[in-house]
Amino acid sequence: MKGKSTFILLLFSILFSLTLRAQEINVTGKVTSKDGSPIPGVSVLIQGSRNGVATNPNGEFRIAVPKAGTNLVFSLIGMTSQTIAVNNSQPINVILLDSMNDLDQVVVVGYGTQKKSVVTGAISQVKASDLENMPVMRIEQSLQGRTSGLTITTSSGQPGDGATLRIRGTTSINNSEALYIVDGVQVGGGIDYLNQADIESIEVLKDAASAAIYGARAANGVILVTTKKGNRNGKMSVNYNTYLGTQAPARKLDLLNATQYATLYNEAQFAANPNVGTPRFPNPSQFGQGTDWQAAVFNNSAKIQNHELSLSGGGEKSTYYSSFGYFDQDGIVATSNSQYKRFTARFNSDHQITKAIKFGQTIGYTRVNSVGVGTNTEYGSPLGRAINIDPLTPIVETDPARINLPIYTGNPVVRNAQGLPYGISEYAQSEILNPVAALAVAQGRGWSDKVVANAFVEVEPIKGLKLRSQGGVDLAFWGSEGFTPIYYLNSINQTTITSYNRNSNRGLFWSLENTISYNKQINKHNFTGLIGYSSQKNKGETNGGTKDGIPVTNIKDASLQFPVSRANDVFYGGEYLNTLNSIFGRLTYNFDEKYLFTGIVRRDGSSRFGPNNKFGYFPSGSVGWVASRESFFPQNNVVTFLKFRGSYGVTGNDNIGDFRYLSTVSGGRNYTLGTSAGLNNGVSPDALSNPDLRWEETSSTDIGLDATLFGKFTITADWYHKKTSGMLLQIDVPGYVGNSGPIGNIADLSNRGFELELGYNKRMGEFSFRVAANGSFLTNNIDFLGDEKQFLGGQTVTPQGLEVTRTMVGHAIGSFFGYRSNGLFQNQAEINNYKNAGGALIQPNAKPGDIKFIDLNGDGLISDNDREIIGDPTPDFTYGFTLNAAYKGFDFVMLGQGVAGNQVFNALRRFDLPTANYTTAILDRWRGEGTSNVTPRLTLQDDNKNYSRVSSLFLEDASYFRIKTLQVGYSLPTQLVSKAGLSKLRFYVMANNLVTFTKYTGYDPEIGGGSFGVDRGFYPQARTFFAGINVGF
Amino acid sequence: MKNKYIKCTIAIVAMMQIFVSCKKDFLELTPRGTALEDNFYKNETEVMQGVISVYDVMQWGTTGGYTMKMPLLSAASDDNWAGGSNASDQPNWVAYDNFNMDPRIGPQGGLWNKNFSGINRANLILSKIEGATTLSAPFKARVTAEAKFLRAYFYFDLVRWFGRVPLITAVLPTAELYTQKQSTPAQIYAQIEKDLREAYPNLPATISSAEKGRISQGAAKAQLGKVLLYQNDNTKLAEAITLFEDVNKVGNAYGFSLVPVYADIFNPANKFNSESILEIPHSNNAAWGDWGWINGGEGNVGTQFIGMDSYNGDTYSSGWGFCPVTLDLVNVMKTDPRFDATIIDGAALKAGGATYNARYQNTDYFIKKYAPLKAFRSASGVAEQNWPINEIEIRLADTYLMQAEALVKANQNPTRAKELLDAVRGRVGLASIPATLDNIYNERRLELATEGHRFFDLVRTGTAVTVLGPVGFRANKSELLPIPQTEIDITKGIITQNPGYN
Repeated sequence: MKGKSTFILLLFSILFSLTLRAQEINVTGKVTSKDGSPIPGVSVLIQGSRNGVATNPNGEFRIAVPKAGTNLVFSLIGMTSQTIAVNNSQPINVILLDSMNDLDQVVVVGYGTQKKSVVTGAISQVKASDLENMPVMRIEQSLQGRTSGLTITTSSGQPGDGATLRIRGTTSINNSEALYIVDGVQVGGGIDYLNQADIESIEVLKDAASAAIYGARAANGVILVTTKKGNRNGKMSVNYNTYLGTQAPARKLDLLNATQYATLYNEAQFAANPNVGTPRFPNPSQFGQGTDWQAAVFNNSAKIQNHELSLSGGGEKSTYYSSFGYFDQDGIVATSNSQYKRFTARFNSDHQITKAIKFGQTIGYTRVNSVGVGTNTEYGSPLGRAINIDPLTPIVETDPARINLPIYTGNPVVRNAQGLPYGISEYAQSEILNPVAALAVAQGRGWSDKVVANAFVEVEPIKGLKLRSQGGVDLAFWGSEGFTPIYYLNSINQTTITSYNRNSNRGLFWSLENTISYNKQINKHNFTGLIGYSSQKNKGETNGGTKDGIPVTNIKDASLQFPVSRANDVFYGGEYLNTLNSIFGRLTYNFDEKYLFTGIVRRDGSSRFGPNNKFGYFPSGSVGWVASRESFFPQNNVVTFLKFRGSYGVTGNDNIGDFRYLSTVSGGRNYTLGTSAGLNNGVSPDALSNPDLRWEETSSTDIGLDATLFGKFTITADWYHKKTSGMLLQIDVPGYVGNSGPIGNIADLSNRGFELELGYNKRMGEFSFRVAANGSFLTNNIDFLGDEKQFLGGQTVTPQGLEVTRTMVGHAIGSFFGYRSNGLFQNQAEINNYKNAGGALIQPNAKPGDIKFIDLNGDGLISDNDREIIGDPTPDFTYGFTLNAAYKGFDFVMLGQGVAGNQVFNALRRFDLPTANYTTAILDRWRGEGTSNVTPRLTLQDDNKNYSRVSSLFLEDASYFRIKTLQVGYSLPTQLVSKAGLSKLRFYVMANNLVTFTKYTGYDPEIGGGSFGVDRGFYPQARTFFAGINVGF
Repeated sequence: MKNKYIKCTIAIVAMMQIFVSCKKDFLELTPRGTALEDNFYKNETEVMQGVISVYDVMQWGTTGGYTMKMPLLSAASDDNWAGGSNASDQPNWVAYDNFNMDPRIGPQGGLWNKNFSGINRANLILSKIEGATTLSAPFKARVTAEAKFLRAYFYFDLVRWFGRVPLITAVLPTAELYTQKQSTPAQIYAQIEKDLREAYPNLPATISSAEKGRISQGAAKAQLGKVLLYQNDNTKLAEAITLFEDVNKVGNAYGFSLVPVYADIFNPANKFNSESILEIPHSNNAAWGDWGWINGGEGNVGTQFIGMDSYNGDTYSSGWGFCPVTLDLVNVMKTDPRFDATIIDGAALKAGGATYNARYQNTDYFIKKYAPLKAFRSASGVAEQNWPINEIEIRLADTYLMQAEALVKANQNPTRAKELLDAVRGRVGLASIPATLDNIYNERRLELATEGHRFFDLVRTGTAVTVLGPVGFRANKSELLPIPQTEIDITKGIITQNPGYN
């Protein structure tokens, strides 16, 4: 903190130390838009210097430059920057183009770039200008709400946690992770290692036509990230960005207070046994409000900060870009145990060795330190405990009479800094412990060091012919450690021996890619051909150990070096290895940028594929027609650009695990022998082998159009149909085979969808604004799971393992599965009238106030067979919009984002634990005829299984709309800051997750990760307020 | 200068191309640290581990449904009911008890899978033994014999339960996984006999105390004798008699003799006693606790099944109340000296202050052989899954009675037949009776009560329909279980259903 304030002081001292500079040539000019209207407020900067001015309301400027040949850089938010050399012709008139309408901009397409106007695939792009000054914790999140076709569902609000990212739906029942390519290098484990300020652009290859160049890895879609390069012929530009923020939970649950808790417990007890006599809590009001456990685990002022410093520039021969970043975030839940710190450094450079030979490299290093807590589990996460524990138990026991109870004096209980014991609940059971005490004994952290680098040589012996060799590497080291002291949390959660474990892992991925491309224009025929060869290897190892009984009490002192007995000393390890060998080619042709064609074929060979299917071919073709370039297209000001696109292609998913085609053998098939009963290890094959095993295959059809209306309004629309076949499942074999079937390419699913991206630009004098909106409809359907197989099991809740989701033929993957409730029985007559054909009661155990379950199969009783698909955690519709506005030095950004048509299963309360607390929604329970038709009566004797049957009662609408980001900034006038030797000085304030509109009653309706759509006490995203500064030198 | 650079770079690029393309084995990887079927079974230790995995199947209690032979077959017979908490506790057992199995309900799925798992493992290890080059001749001979015995053992269960099953004597190639046809019982019996005849000469006469539980020559001969006798084919009696005589004669090569005190046979402390010929060991050594895969442990879950539910009292541990003893058996045994060693009188226990819950089909009489005993309750793992109580599948009294039966049927040596019958009766102080078939069958019921022999005895002697007809047994149907429907579905009808179950 101290260092930071010093820095700001320094900044201001620079600002006010004005200096005069020599003046040689006065340059004047005017900046207009395409339609001729003047653009005020455009920054005009002498390239490589800190001198600059801004255009006046008439779009005019006047600037003194040292000499002819100097370059001027014209830039404005939302416009494509231009660099113009000063020569003797004056005035300099510049036409700036709206960046979003600019059809001349390029998109990265994998092994090359393409002009946007001639692209035939479905590619979404997010550019540096969209991401600048947008604090996001992970780069993936920056795509949320910004592009169509992506469903991004945050895995949790824990710092450093990722998101479930799906490009055009879930493509596989196994692994649907997109392929990430950063500067041409495949990276594993997501892209959270990247510093946001280093990113030049992110392209999302959505259809097979664009992704097919990545063949067997592309079925789940491809995300291409390009990092920044320096500018040629520019002086050094230095940028420093920082922000500080404070985070808080956006919502707390209303839980029962102690008096309400005791009262309702008594009621439940009485309902179960009217002859109970004295209730468990004879005087509920004595407990008052009790403990607010949420307050004990939530932090309303968790800090977040970020610093980024970058230097870039270049000369005639070389360019460079280097940066350093530091990001530090505390969690809003259990802050002491939920933190993330990231340090990043990057160096990118390009060198023109000769006119024909170019060399370049990028290298990024990232170090991450983090600690985390359980984020969505009913088995003892801090929030899960806070929700479920009784409000009667105090956080810290202060009552002297209780402190001296044997449970506190006779056990190694956990104590606070004052030496007072944390309260131990007499009521809560199972994993529902005092969350504060439990955090004190959960000691551990994780770390990683990662280097992603590439280097290339490119030779252009004749114009248009490029030979390029590129090597890439992703080297990662990561590990974690954890320590368990001797503790007593309650009678079933205690340890008698310390335990320390530590593991280290190393992963090395390398790739070598050689490509030859040739670009030729003959009259109006444009050809680009590419052929390439690629090899890659991915390997890694893990090793770790556990030592029990080390003589320390804190992780800070723990070490694997302590000597312990052999029995207390465990070592473990593992390794992985896979390789991929590929050849690929692409032919791009267009006639007059009017008729467009791209054809791609890639052949991938993988060590993961069985010997009978070692190589897969992945072809794709796409065509486009720019109708607006036809001579017969009526010249008009309404439709200024119109392109139709169509594509079909086949891609693969090689994320099928290593060596799954082989038959492995395992031990544990034991037999006891001998009079003294000795155990003998038996070994047998686990399953049959499958030499035919291969990739999962996705074929995809895409039809789309791009249009510009009135020169300002852009539309991109796509319809697609993606079909995945041969998803890996264990093959069912006859029982007489006597072993499990092999893993085979069995199952099929499909995704269909429609996507729309809209943009609009408007400039009125010094006021300009831009709106970008997108929406995506998605339908996922499981088509086939095997000859006799109708479903696969999914998520379960509670130790009873109640099924909550199933992946079922004819429905979306991981759909909710359960009973349907039809309100509550209001009286005995309703129970008696609920009869089957034989006259017997369908729910003979029901009492008034219990759920009336629908007898879906009509067999006259309620059984497991009365369950069906009752909902879907995946949204049918996702949408987002960004609003940018600027006036003079002020700028404003709002990003809104939402989903619709999905549900969340609310499993916040552990129904299997009768002493678990409730939310205040239970106050509206059924208490007599007509009091509720939604919330069943309270009872400890749930014979009707109101709570132990997964039913539609617990499904809630999880549609939401969120003001994701709201930012207001002010940039000091260029003339002013340039006098201080700066090129830019901007201040801003911002809010993240400011408002969320939803009917969902839990903390957060957006529940991704492993417990997708099932809320077990989900760690919510924070609401954050930031203030930040951008400085350019 | 410029050209030189270009050439250099092109050369480098070209070299890189060669560098990667030359490695032809780039995609041919072998996993390290993972044992593969292809490279395991290299030496005697690994082959023995393969053989152990075949033995392992003998002690399985669940394979898609509970299939513990002793209690399950007792429930099917007139000795016991199915029991449990209610009729839907183990519907497969209740269906077998009442002979209203259908292709989807009944114990067939588990029994089919269990025995074919054993056959698959036996076939696999036989092929590996064949291919191994480092095995000593005696080792090879013994493990080959064991694998063949075990294959025969599993097929004998299959043929008795299902009649027509696919006869698989080698690891199935991928192309043939779905195309196996059922063989006739005669073909299957022929293979069983062949395996057993090839097995017993190479098995040791005695098993060292550390290896007790492995198959001995005596066990293989007894099993072959039993297989021959069970076929009801008089031409096979002579061989059966010879085999039984080898096992039963005084001073036999295997050290078999009747245990003097009847009750001692089933004392869990008395494992591998002199009367035990084929014994399936159990222990709590694997300290198991996974209800999804009980077979991973080594305990006898059957013991847990037959115990009295929520029992609170001396001697016994609590069980789940399966297989209550029928009053029919109680009545015929009331005066038999073996009653106390065979049947627990619940009423008497209650009178002594013990309590337990009456469950489905309760008679207040429970199986005593293999009952859960407090003293043997496992302290490690989940106790219910880890009962260290062995099952005796063939014992000397059984082979005595089988030899006596064979002799009477073959009209040979009536003196020897009577001698054998008298020896069984004499041990428990019963007087000599004539060695007629009826007397021998009756003795079998009493001597071997609740040990799992009764049901197949009723079937092979043709008395099943008389005895079990009242509870649902139908001739020419209930002798066999239905073929699991899943087998018919997955083979698209190549596997066909047993008569009466379509």
